[in-house]
Amino acid sequence: MHRLYVHPLPIRIWHWLNALGFITMIVTGIQIRYIGLINLLSFRSAVLLHNAIGLVLIGNFFVWFLFYLFSDKIRVYLPELNPMKHFAASFRQMKFYGYGIFKGQPNPHHVSVYHKFNALQSMTYQIVMLLLVPIQFFTGVLLWDVDRFQPAINVLGGLRVVDTVHVLIFIFFAGFIFIHPYLASLGHTWSAHFKAMITGYEEVEDEEA
Amino acid sequence: MISFGSIRGVSAPVLRLAILSSAVFALGPLFPASGSALAADGVLSKDDQVCLACHGQPGMEKDMADGDKLSLQIKGKEFAASVHNAIGCAACHSDIDLAKHPAPGKKKQSLREFSIAKVEVCRQCHEDKSKLYEGSIHAALLREGNPMAPLCSDCHPPHAVRAKAAASGPIDEVPCRKCHSAVFKAYAQSVHGLARAKDSNGGAPSCADCHQAHDVVSPSSGNQVKDACLGCHYNALQLHKSWLPNAAHHFEAVSCPACHGPAAPRRVDLRLYDNGTKARVTEKLGVPRFESLARLADSKGQGIDALALQSLLKEFNRDNVDGDTVLRGRLEVDGGPEAHLLAAKGKAIKDCNFCHREGATPFQKVTISIVGPDGRPLRHGAQQDVLQAPTSIDSVRGFYAIGGTRIKLLDILLVLALASGVAIPVGHLSLKWLSRRYLQKSGDKQAQDPGSNGSNKNNS
Repeated sequence: MHRLYVHPLPIRIWHWLNALGFITMIVTGIQIRYIGLINLLSFRSAVLLHNAIGLVLIGNFFVWFLFYLFSDKIRVYLPELNPMKHFAASFRQMKFYGYGIFKGQPNPHHVSVYHKFNALQSMTYQIVMLLLVPIQFFTGVLLWDVDRFQPAINVLGGLRVVDTVHVLIFIFFAGFIFIHPYLASLGHTWSAHFKAMITGYEEVEDEEA
Repeated sequence: MISFGSIRGVSAPVLRLAILSSAVFALGPLFPASGSALAADGVLSKDDQVCLACHGQPGMEKDMADGDKLSLQIKGKEFAASVHNAIGCAACHSDIDLAKHPAPGKKKQSLREFSIAKVEVCRQCHEDKSKLYEGSIHAALLREGNPMAPLCSDCHPPHAVRAKAAASGPIDEVPCRKCHSAVFKAYAQSVHGLARAKDSNGGAPSCADCHQAHDVVSPSSGNQVKDACLGCHYNALQLHKSWLPNAAHHFEAVSCPACHGPAAPRRVDLRLYDNGTKARVTEKLGVPRFESLARLADSKGQGIDALALQSLLKEFNRDNVDGDTVLRGRLEVDGGPEAHLLAAKGKAIKDCNFCHREGATPFQKVTISIVGPDGRPLRHGAQQDVLQAPTSIDSVRGFYAIGGTRIKLLDILLVLALASGVAIPVGHLSLKWLSRRYLQKSGDKQAQDPGSNGSNKNNS
């Protein structure tokens, strides 16, 4: 085992702020949508908190975005352009999670500084970070001040269309927020990836000679 | 020589008519033209005194063809105090030939017909007000032949009319109450009515302050009433912004009385709106398209359901080449009288939960509407599910209240996502735990039996 610095400080700050923010957004989102079913906060407090945290998360997104844009670490997000290679790697990874892991087989993905995501993670995070999160922020901003952004809302098809897109992505994140930490616990120990996201260092098995 | 300088407060058209009336009387044998024929403030002119010598007598009346009787008695004191005293009797009754008066002539059919004919007389001086009236819902009702449609004289008794009394007087003298008694009763109990009753000069609005006096239109056909609210409560939006998220949107989608009339029943009115013309869809006179389409869409008479609403919209968009017809929703008070029962500011609904929760009462009644040919809305009932069905994303795209009108299918998806979010890790973890136990047992067995060829030998 050796230690590899794969999570730079700005990314760790972004990650934990994002995690806390998304949990708060999901909880306040549920509170806003299902007032009466749960009563953690008043509707108004939930809306105000949701709006405030949303703005913080948008700012935080740009920490992530600008860091990767202006550093060579952007390579971790570069897609595999060969579809055969990508699907083969994805299949290997799915096979591991669906079968090999139960048999005690090793993870087929080997972490390196510029290759920290496995094929499934790479595809998921490209969709999440470059599509779902920006759409969620955009629709959230439109819903934050409906009157101000009414022309844009109309162009997109109306208030219900914008809201439904926002809610569908919210539903995705509500499920994702449980699965993400579970997947993070599938390191060589359950806490290995959590520790890595705090210290920045992943513990990586030595390559066999 | 007639001197007009002494007639204060008389407008140019009135003066013109006064000259005309003097000329008319000058031609008559009974009324020699002279300066003294004109009235001073509160005093009848000599000419009018001659008229009132007969018409001031109690019980003077004329038979109408329908058997009704037209009172011809004019109360001299009231007329002298009225604004019409300045122009005198002859200004409005120039059709009377004094040489043959009272002439037997042809009887008018009814009091109504008589009053309708006199509208033209009012128009001679009050052309601007007449034009406003022509565009009003009252005139539209008159054109439709509605016998209750108010005429000039219904609101302004011609022989006792005082300046702006109809619109600005004490609430007991507001003529609107004659027809709109239920509305007036509610208004009288409202914060506005009570303030007005206490002090008619205190600034509290009366009917015409919100609905206009002559160009009165259906309150739900435009923004006139909302504009009237904001005309006095000019900082209302700023005040609401201090506590209400999306305050400007609330102002757009919720009528003022929906919150400020806490006891009122409410409904969502989904209005057909043409994005091409940027106006509400209006039914053409003589072409009752909306009603026939709505009846067709609601064959069971239980209200238009979500799918039928989509079909209805498609019908309206079929011939629309300029733009698209959409539905714009508005939460409003269900009923005219209740809309006037406005409470004091402190009693207004301020609790978000009132609307933003499942089953909220304001969303239980839904109507679809367009503007009728007379300016009044034509409504047809819709089922409540039009606000919550998946098709509402398209059909009711412009109206949404978080929580209150949420789409149930999305709730099911959320439950599935949460269940999956929990079940996938728990299931995977359980399988991992079971397989590890199995592998451990296999390992123990192999340790006890080194000769066997274990399947996970190479995976350690």
